[in-house]
Amino acid sequence: MSSPKKITKKELRQVFWRSFALQGAFNYERMQNLGYAYAMIPVIKKLYDKHDDQVKALNRHLEIFNTTPAVSTTIMGISAAMEEQNANDSNFDSNSINAVKASLMGPLAGIGDSLFWGTFRIIAAGIGVSLATQGNIFGPILFLILFNIPHLFLRIAGLKLGYRVGVNSLERIQKEGLMEKIMAMTTTVGLMVVGGMVATMLKLTTPLEFDINGAKVVLQDILDQILPNMLPLIATFVIYGLMKRKVSITKLTLGIIVVGILLHWIGLL
Amino acid sequence: MAAQAIMLGIIAGIGILDSRIFGVLMLERPLVLGLLVGLVLGDVQQGVIIGAQLELIWMGIAGIGAATPPDIVTGGVLGTAFAIISGQGVEVALVLAVPIAVLAQSLGVLVRIINTYFMHRADNYAAKANFRGVTIMMWIPPILFFLSVFIPTVLAIILGAEQVKNMIESVPETILGGLEVAGKLLPAVGFALLLDMLFSKKMGVYFFLGFLAASFLDLNITAIALFGACIAIIVNLVINNNSNNQANDQKGNNNNLTEGEIDFE
Repeated sequence: MSSPKKITKKELRQVFWRSFALQGAFNYERMQNLGYAYAMIPVIKKLYDKHDDQVKALNRHLEIFNTTPAVSTTIMGISAAMEEQNANDSNFDSNSINAVKASLMGPLAGIGDSLFWGTFRIIAAGIGVSLATQGNIFGPILFLILFNIPHLFLRIAGLKLGYRVGVNSLERIQKEGLMEKIMAMTTTVGLMVVGGMVATMLKLTTPLEFDINGAKVVLQDILDQILPNMLPLIATFVIYGLMKRKVSITKLTLGIIVVGILLHWIGLL
Repeated sequence: MAAQAIMLGIIAGIGILDSRIFGVLMLERPLVLGLLVGLVLGDVQQGVIIGAQLELIWMGIAGIGAATPPDIVTGGVLGTAFAIISGQGVEVALVLAVPIAVLAQSLGVLVRIINTYFMHRADNYAAKANFRGVTIMMWIPPILFFLSVFIPTVLAIILGAEQVKNMIESVPETILGGLEVAGKLLPAVGFALLLDMLFSKKMGVYFFLGFLAASFLDLNITAIALFGACIAIIVNLVINNNSNNQANDQKGNNNNLTEGEIDFE
């Protein structure tokens, strides 16, 4: 037996940089497969010398793959650890490498989407937009910084954790309920920020006034006394309700443009 | 104009490649692209303001799963650019950006279909263990993605700027006022989309907490996010841990291994 094959920091660093291009060749048939295989090439080259082994490994990672790009490195780390085992142990079942990939990409995409799309992006954008609406150029810059600190941290930490702890790592995290806790916490912050944005960034007021026995009554003042920002809140929930009834986004957007013109024409908004 | 058109095309190209080869660093968002478009057209402030407004509208649109979302990159760059060139405000950007995004989406779909061909050629190279071949097949599609937004953007600016300007000037005042109202309403779509992702009976109360904090206490978004983080920690870690500890104590707790067991480095 020759000495055991081992992945070094060098290969992991290459996987890290290549992981950014995951969706470069996105296609409808196997989605991110080519990007995934591309990211795994340094690992495959390092571990396998024989032509046949290289072909098998390349084919493995050209199978269908789709997940949230930010969590992809975690799965790549696990794949790398399993390829290493496979290269050194002739009894290792190589089918398990793809089985693990397939079983992880769904749940991790769920977590990744709600963490990065549903939460970090919204908090960062909420803060960025509130500066940018005043024309402040730090709005966009702060947005990029706030989002990418947790983003890049997870890419690095996920790859290391995936490679070091292998398949067991995620089972372990799931068992301890850590993932649910993180999800609940980020959803809490995300929802509060969305609530704050509805109040501060939807500027809906009505110009309607009544004349009652010579006294001028401004409708907006009355609404403000009942609940400030009542109209933005109502508008958001009406549209949310329509979405729940499966009205498409395109129809909603076009509908709002028409409704906006009509409401302005009759003087309601 | 030609030089500016090419620069705007490159901005759109960078935007579309963000989720392709830059790992979704958020360079594709209208908030960021608005700044860049403003820089090229010499009105940074207006670019940033329009970008912020488009960001609000499209905040809920995200490329999740296999679905192809509206092309907010082309829509955002052209909408912002036309609004600045024509000297009109945010409402013009909105009205132009939304249909452009839907239209441009079809080109993105086309590229994803064409990519299947390169993927199959990569399969053939893989069968010969030709790493170089696989790598080349991987890097041709990003060029197609780039061209799919670069060409339409440059052409639209060179050929369309004058027409768009004339068209906008002929729109009657009432319609423009109505569009302004529509522009104020449209971010509600973005917020509703976010609620669709986050809202649940159990968690819904936090939405209202944030809303009331902004409405009555005049807290800004940063303050709400920070208070939210504290509340999340209190509810999920402090209170939960107390109740867990009590439960464990009653059971004659002998499972102290959970914390600090994971070795991260």
